[in-house]
Amino acid sequence: MDLSQLTDAIKSGNRKAAALLTQEAIDAKIEPRAILDSLIVGMDDIGARFQRNEVFVPEMLIAARAMKESMIILEPLLIAAGIRPEYTALIGTVQGDLHDIGKNLVSMMWKGANFNVVDLGTNVPPEKFVEAAKEHNPQIIGLSALLTTTMPSMKTTIEQLRAAGLTSTKIIIGGAPITQEFANQIGADAFAPDAASAVEVARYLVGPKAA
Amino acid sequence: MTDRERFDATMHYRPVDRCPICDFGFWDETVPEWHKQGLPTKVEWNSRAEVSTDTWFGMDCYCAGGTPNVDLQPGFEWYVIEDLGDHEIVQQGDGVRVLRKKWLGSIPHHVSHLLTDRDSWREHYLPKLNPDTPERYRGDWDAAVAEWKNPNRDVPMTVSCGSLFGRLRDWMGLENIAVVPYDDPDWFEEMVTTLADCVIGTLHRTLETGVKFESGSMWEDMCYSGGPLLGPEHFKRFLVPHYRRITDLLRKYGVDIVWIDCDGKIDALLPLWLDAGVNCMFPIEVGTWHADPIKYRKEYGKDLRLIGGFDKHILQGARSEILAEIERLVPLVEDGGFIPLPDHRVPPDVPYESYLYYLHEARRVWGQGINLKPSPALENFSQ
Repeated sequence: MDLSQLTDAIKSGNRKAAALLTQEAIDAKIEPRAILDSLIVGMDDIGARFQRNEVFVPEMLIAARAMKESMIILEPLLIAAGIRPEYTALIGTVQGDLHDIGKNLVSMMWKGANFNVVDLGTNVPPEKFVEAAKEHNPQIIGLSALLTTTMPSMKTTIEQLRAAGLTSTKIIIGGAPITQEFANQIGADAFAPDAASAVEVARYLVGPKAA
Repeated sequence: MTDRERFDATMHYRPVDRCPICDFGFWDETVPEWHKQGLPTKVEWNSRAEVSTDTWFGMDCYCAGGTPNVDLQPGFEWYVIEDLGDHEIVQQGDGVRVLRKKWLGSIPHHVSHLLTDRDSWREHYLPKLNPDTPERYRGDWDAAVAEWKNPNRDVPMTVSCGSLFGRLRDWMGLENIAVVPYDDPDWFEEMVTTLADCVIGTLHRTLETGVKFESGSMWEDMCYSGGPLLGPEHFKRFLVPHYRRITDLLRKYGVDIVWIDCDGKIDALLPLWLDAGVNCMFPIEVGTWHADPIKYRKEYGKDLRLIGGFDKHILQGARSEILAEIERLVPLVEDGGFIPLPDHRVPPDVPYESYLYYLHEARRVWGQGINLKPSPALENFSQ
């Protein structure tokens, strides 16, 4: 069986075909890791096209939905084979800010890159980030904010994470008013301008194994 | 010139005495914050206040409203579902259940949506989009029309032309509405057509009164910092024909300026809006993704009018930066078809003194000190 068909189903967001082809690949005794890789290639393609403004949010959403359908079928086999996401990412919208669309898109794309994503929701106090970081031991923490007035919460959160000893965890920030300059000012490890870039940045920060 | 004459002349590239000096308003938290910084407490941001911010700052008007509601009629009942201390879950007038801060004006977090599928559309929303519902038209309709038709009216009036996508996005949530054009294109088409029919039906009755409106206005907010929330292909297929229906009707009644309120990066949609007869962009967010109204004018020429384009984030900075941003826009002010104002509502982290400086310089540079409205705010302002 040619796995490029499965990749194409992800790229076009065809969830029925994605599920069908995933099952066919499993029935054809193709290694679960290879099937997973073909899904990730599809999501990577969508992410790259999103960055080039060739596709937009709806196309990313339907691609992620198609991958989710595939993963429902594939995940038990991955677990049985001892294949787990190599990296864990924690994500949340910072305290005082209730916006979640950007955060959800990043979360979705990180899942598409086979990160284990722990989503803390919106209006997350710094203490909750610290508590969750200690519990899940993530390699990446993503902080989101839409408002200029809640940007200072990002700084507070980073300070508390660092003060709690989480010095090697990479922190990525994003949101409409966020800039690289602001990321530098508050001690974030990186700034991601959009959901697709967040995947590239996270992979870069955690090293080649995540690619 | 009156505000009405000045708006009309500016938008049609005729000679004007000066540029209109206007604002987009303020966050709910901004005026209370400024009260702590010296703004008299009698000043509030709405026209019903003892002293409105418009009066206090001496603002011109670019869009007096009051035309019939083209949205849900009647709206859903607004009520608190759960009190969570400083937050609460409420059902809004649009049927969406949201978690919101009690005292702040930030965009709330959607908890759940009534509109989820064809059945909920037909049960809950379709009946509220009938253009013939009498309650769309205010009780004092005849008096209002007489006032709008008054040849001595001195403010420019805009006729509300609703939304074709933004409302659907609100009612369903982005993640849900975004996939409908793929999953059920016929239903998406039905919803957009219904919204357009409601606007057009309501507009007919309003425009047939003979009122000469200075503009039509729409709202979408369908872009984010990276681009549109609906791809250009779907935009062209589903929305453009209905924008065209609306703008054709407006032009039939002499309304040739149609502006759209859309935050975010509008580049991919702007030429499609222009093709559909929507010829004025608002508020042109500079700070969010570096939009440039000067670049737009170069690219699209004078067919495109612009309102906004001043980076509001700069109001938090040094006076030299504020002045530089004002001066940056002077060539476009001189070109016409442009009303400069902050590219969104002014946030509370802008110091009151900085805003006064902006206002002082905007009136001096853009307004050239000519025929300006009195500004009590600046009476004791010294640089």
